[in-house]
Amino acid sequence: MSPVGGLTWTVYDADKMTQAETYGLVLSELGKMNPKIVGLSADLAKSTKIGKFGEKFPERFFNLGIAEQNMFGVAAGLAKVGLLPFVSTFSVFASMRAVEFLRTDVCYQNLNVKIIATHGGTSFGSAGTTHHSIEDLSIIRAIPNIQLIVPADAVETALAVQACVEVEGPVYIRIGRSFEPRVYQTDQYGFQIGKAVEMKSGTDVTVIACGAVVYHAVEAANILEREDGISVRVINMHTIKPIDREAILKALMETRRIVTFEDHNVIGGLGSAVSEVIAESGKACAFTKVGIPDQFTPHGYPEDLMHYYKIDTDGIVEKVRELLGKEFEKEEDWEDEY
Amino acid sequence: MVENEKDILISKIILKAVLPVIKVLLEDHPTFQKRFKDIQGTVQFTAQNDGQVIGAHIKFDNLNFEISSELLEKPDISFHFSSLKKMNDFFTGKLVLPKIKGFKNFSLLWRMFSVLLKLKLLMPDAKPKNPIDKKIKVKMTLYMVSTALSQLNKSGDVDMVKWTSKQPERIYQWSVDNEDIACWLKIKAGQSKSGRGFYTLRKPFVHMRFPNIDSAIPVLTNSVDTVQAMAQGLLITEGSPEYAAKLGDFMLKIAELLT
Repeated sequence: MSPVGGLTWTVYDADKMTQAETYGLVLSELGKMNPKIVGLSADLAKSTKIGKFGEKFPERFFNLGIAEQNMFGVAAGLAKVGLLPFVSTFSVFASMRAVEFLRTDVCYQNLNVKIIATHGGTSFGSAGTTHHSIEDLSIIRAIPNIQLIVPADAVETALAVQACVEVEGPVYIRIGRSFEPRVYQTDQYGFQIGKAVEMKSGTDVTVIACGAVVYHAVEAANILEREDGISVRVINMHTIKPIDREAILKALMETRRIVTFEDHNVIGGLGSAVSEVIAESGKACAFTKVGIPDQFTPHGYPEDLMHYYKIDTDGIVEKVRELLGKEFEKEEDWEDEY
Repeated sequence: MVENEKDILISKIILKAVLPVIKVLLEDHPTFQKRFKDIQGTVQFTAQNDGQVIGAHIKFDNLNFEISSELLEKPDISFHFSSLKKMNDFFTGKLVLPKIKGFKNFSLLWRMFSVLLKLKLLMPDAKPKNPIDKKIKVKMTLYMVSTALSQLNKSGDVDMVKWTSKQPERIYQWSVDNEDIACWLKIKAGQSKSGRGFYTLRKPFVHMRFPNIDSAIPVLTNSVDTVQAMAQGLLITEGSPEYAAKLGDFMLKIAELLT
């Protein structure tokens, strides 16, 4: 597999990379081991890949039609009688169209429902503004009881889906549509919900990213190290809630410069979650959050949209260079002490 | 480097990096603590350079110590040199006789001479035997070097400026384990600042740690080079080895200028 960018991926590559594809396969495997798992779809079984589970276990799979709100109500009922429902739809529908049902039926009762929301961020590029899910992290994060995970790639998606079964209560896993570059070559890196992964050590600046942006963050860090001699720490913050405060505070104290990158509106998502930890610490830090600004996204291929919003490799390189010029101390005094 | 430029650079290092470490003697050396208790007075060092007078004065006030590049009209004691080169030679251990004023303050004068003699501990060939002097040598040398590096940059040394100007904000830390010896050099896009203690606002980009005083002595007297020192466990370097090595080159440059 050669991640050269653009639309030059082959179908063979895509099969190995796609988060949704992996999710479908992992859920099918889990279904063999856990008879309580049931699958629910709102007429998007094929697109969200939960259909793979449906093919294996047709008696445990329910297509509820284009009725997302009802799907969450049904999921709550199934959880209430002891089953373990996996609900799959596009993230734009899971987090907005059906949000009151998710909030009141599922989260209010802290029910054991797992939501696998596909086509997150701008990954459904060509489907246009209405299908770009750039508000879901913000909305979901504000609902009590639910945990929020944004895996970096297919490997992490597999681990997150397995891990969420062990968690009692609602979990929302946000994945992409396809073509997410592979970040991990192994699943043996100690994935834990709520525990960030340091992809690269560094002392000059910390880049915190989630989802498909993590791949670009690592690439950008390598470029900055090679071309500028800058030591960049890269953190994969796969769990947005509960956020790994320890990793953020460590980065704050050790690098004093943090920049977040996310395929999401800059209001309320990863950047906001990180900035809350920084602000509450009372420590000085040069900080920038990069993502979709307060605007609706245009139509376009995901790669082009990521480039436009500076959340691809080039954009991250540019933004990190920009942040390095910012001051984190109020006044700088360059007189030598004795 | 033009000879006079070199003299100016050395004099800056002496006035801004060497003289300030007298503070270490007053704070840490029992003999000097006793010697300077209740002593007050000002001592000024000046040198003639191209029609101008360059120098600094020291103020002793019952173990409190201040140094300033501002020149006093009537210091209690003054050491004047007819050229920068002569002042530099005096401080680097060569036989030079300055014009001294203030013999009536003999009590302060002999104390000042004892301080100047003790500053010889900074010389690479000074290999003290007793534990107090060993510690003082290590502390004074590290403090002097960290400030001298900053002064080298501030004075516009071409190689140093080229090195510092490309760096984002970075901390180079030195310390001796289990001792109150720590100092740092902060660099940011061509600017520099030295400081004492541990820099706590961020993690050092390079941290040079000596496990103890005895491990620091051979490194600071150039008895072993940095690579050998690391191999022998005399020096532990955390962070970028390339940048640590480059910093080591500049430390050697300082040593060459002062010998």
